[in-house]
Amino acid sequence: MAPRPCAVLGIGQTKYKRRRDELTLDGLVREAVLRALEDAGATFEDIDAIVIGKAPDALEGVMMPLLSLADALGAVGKPIHRVHTAGSVGASTAISAVNLVESGMYDTVLTVAYEKQSEGNATWALSGGKSGGQGAGGTFAPWIRNYIARSKAPEHIGWMVAVKDRLNALKNEYAHLHLPDISIEKVRESPMLWDPLHFLESCPSSDGAAAMVLGNDDVARKSGRPPAWVISHAKRTEFGQFPGRDTVRPRAGVECSEVLYRKAGITNPREQIDCAELYVPFSWYEPMWLEGHLIAPEGEGWKMTDDGDTELGGSFPVNMSGGVLSSNPIGASGMIRCLEAASQVRGTAGEYQVPGARIAIGHAYGGAAQYYAMWMVSSELNPEL
Amino acid sequence: MPVWFGAPVGRTAGLLWGRRWACGELAAVPQLHDVDYTLEYPYTRTTGPVIGPFLTGLRDGRILGQRCGDRVLCPPMEFDPDTFATLDPDLVEVGPGGEVVNWTWVAEPSAKHPFDRPFGFAFIKLDGADTALVHAVDTGGDPEAMGTAMRVRAQFRPERHGSIADVCFVPEADAAEQAIEPGEEPVAITEHLIGLRISEPLYPHRARFAQGLLDGKIIGQRSPVTGKVYVPGRGYDNMSRVLMSEADEVEVSDVGTVVAFTELNPVQYYGQTETEPYVRCSILFDGTDQPVIGIDIRDMTVDEMRVGMRMRCVWRDPEDRSVADIDNRFGNIPETVYARFEPTGEPDVLADDLKDHSW
Repeated sequence: MAPRPCAVLGIGQTKYKRRRDELTLDGLVREAVLRALEDAGATFEDIDAIVIGKAPDALEGVMMPLLSLADALGAVGKPIHRVHTAGSVGASTAISAVNLVESGMYDTVLTVAYEKQSEGNATWALSGGKSGGQGAGGTFAPWIRNYIARSKAPEHIGWMVAVKDRLNALKNEYAHLHLPDISIEKVRESPMLWDPLHFLESCPSSDGAAAMVLGNDDVARKSGRPPAWVISHAKRTEFGQFPGRDTVRPRAGVECSEVLYRKAGITNPREQIDCAELYVPFSWYEPMWLEGHLIAPEGEGWKMTDDGDTELGGSFPVNMSGGVLSSNPIGASGMIRCLEAASQVRGTAGEYQVPGARIAIGHAYGGAAQYYAMWMVSSELNPEL
Repeated sequence: MPVWFGAPVGRTAGLLWGRRWACGELAAVPQLHDVDYTLEYPYTRTTGPVIGPFLTGLRDGRILGQRCGDRVLCPPMEFDPDTFATLDPDLVEVGPGGEVVNWTWVAEPSAKHPFDRPFGFAFIKLDGADTALVHAVDTGGDPEAMGTAMRVRAQFRPERHGSIADVCFVPEADAAEQAIEPGEEPVAITEHLIGLRISEPLYPHRARFAQGLLDGKIIGQRSPVTGKVYVPGRGYDNMSRVLMSEADEVEVSDVGTVVAFTELNPVQYYGQTETEPYVRCSILFDGTDQPVIGIDIRDMTVDEMRVGMRMRCVWRDPEDRSVADIDNRFGNIPETVYARFEPTGEPDVLADDLKDHSW
């Protein structure tokens, strides 16, 4: 049986900030949810089920937060599911919500993801509470070094990505970092955190939440809202460590994109996809994912960055919203990628709209670059490729 | 196995220690030490427009409820629990007297409980409120004094910080009059030391790995299916999904090749003791198929490191070696067993030959 068509009908985001010091966790999540409901022209009564995601509970020290947030999400008497796949969770959560619609189980599903990083410390949490933790940057930095060695990419590529995403963020009112005077020199001269990653090549620590209302084709027709049809999605996972693992180009990431493209009939992602929101928490992951997700040939992703192809206005814009480098409420960051891709094909991305975008992808990865979740959205249910 | 603060730790831990992990085998093994550490962090909470005034009220000796239509909610909520509509902050004083709607008895209080003697947890409907607040009732340790429909009254603690623990309840007859001096700043952010105590035996294969380090040996496990050697072994081969036991263990070389590295600039956080930059690398020991990650190098700079460089472990003197920090999770070789890693001077291994071992 073919899956029921599923569309994004409403999206909502909070303002991302170092600390949302005026909102409780309930209030933060509700800010995104109420905006998504309003955008969809829906109320809590229209929602059949809720899917919630966030990164490890140790980040805020709230165990099983789906239970304490159920009231705030209007989930009383309704099914609520929690998804947890580390940093990729925002995208995995969105895909889990899509599955509930595609299966025919529910007509309208609310999905939400969040992090209130200011309430704890991510590096502490990722270090198991011990001294000497390397955090995410310390984990990825050696693999980035290996990518640079393997691809022979010049060192300015990382700096270019850091500048490009922050310039894009200036067009996005929700973005955490607004750095109008960002420059290659500033990035290069910012403190070295995890060689070769400078401070300004790293994502911020943000509070924030993102939410979407998803509906089937009947709901989409009745809503009258511009739909972003979810035409393909995929998740793949691999162990964090095993003999033969390629941490620069993880096989799970390659296979995730192969499945994503195959399901949508995409044979040439670089040409057939209009733009992408990729999970780039550290600058060098832009070229690494362009290659690792088969948008560029192996060893040539950095050339797309170098040539300006990934800029807003380039031939394959990446992270038009400013990306994870500009806002990083960890658990929500993957959902923001999915939501921003949807916004592009709905034509609602405002100042950072890619003109005429019809097909876009949202992507996230997590853990030791071992969990992958990707979706592809289109303004049409069956777009011509 | 995490043991929550609040659980009767001694008894629970006793049960855990009576059991041995069935991860790979059940045979008796050298039992070096139990893993016993506390995972805790001073988390903060933003209190927001409704809970903030409620906590500020507690600090100032008043209990506030939130108006919701014709009702008053206490504890207050930011939204209508029936319609989920957002409520504008509209707080009204309730109590200090109230009625027990339902209750339970805590016979053995833990260190984090509000009293050091047995007490009741009760749903208390405060005068003027329409919903019940869960809170602690002190009857001087007497469960017979608790009862449904009993009258209780709030008593404020001498030291108050804008916390739910600023107040407790006693039977109305036991209540004393209190004069409370209000504080100054509104309570906007609160801090809470939240933690887990982790108490478990080392897995048998971990204990043997640790014992090996004390003896100046690196012990790995060879998969009976693929022949690949893992260091440290996990007690199973995750690729072939087979258990591995002591019979699969092999001593491997303490000479290997750097497969990845970076320089860490330590992020400062609660419990962090590192302050200066240092190199962290992964080393693929000769005869093994998976690098050991998280090896710290203090006497070389990042510029002196190379992927492919050959390195040798220089052990500490036997009496200076310690494996006290080894637990069941982090699979590194701790600095407490080696003095340093030093380059052997052999020619580098080509990076391309290390592509399959890049962590």
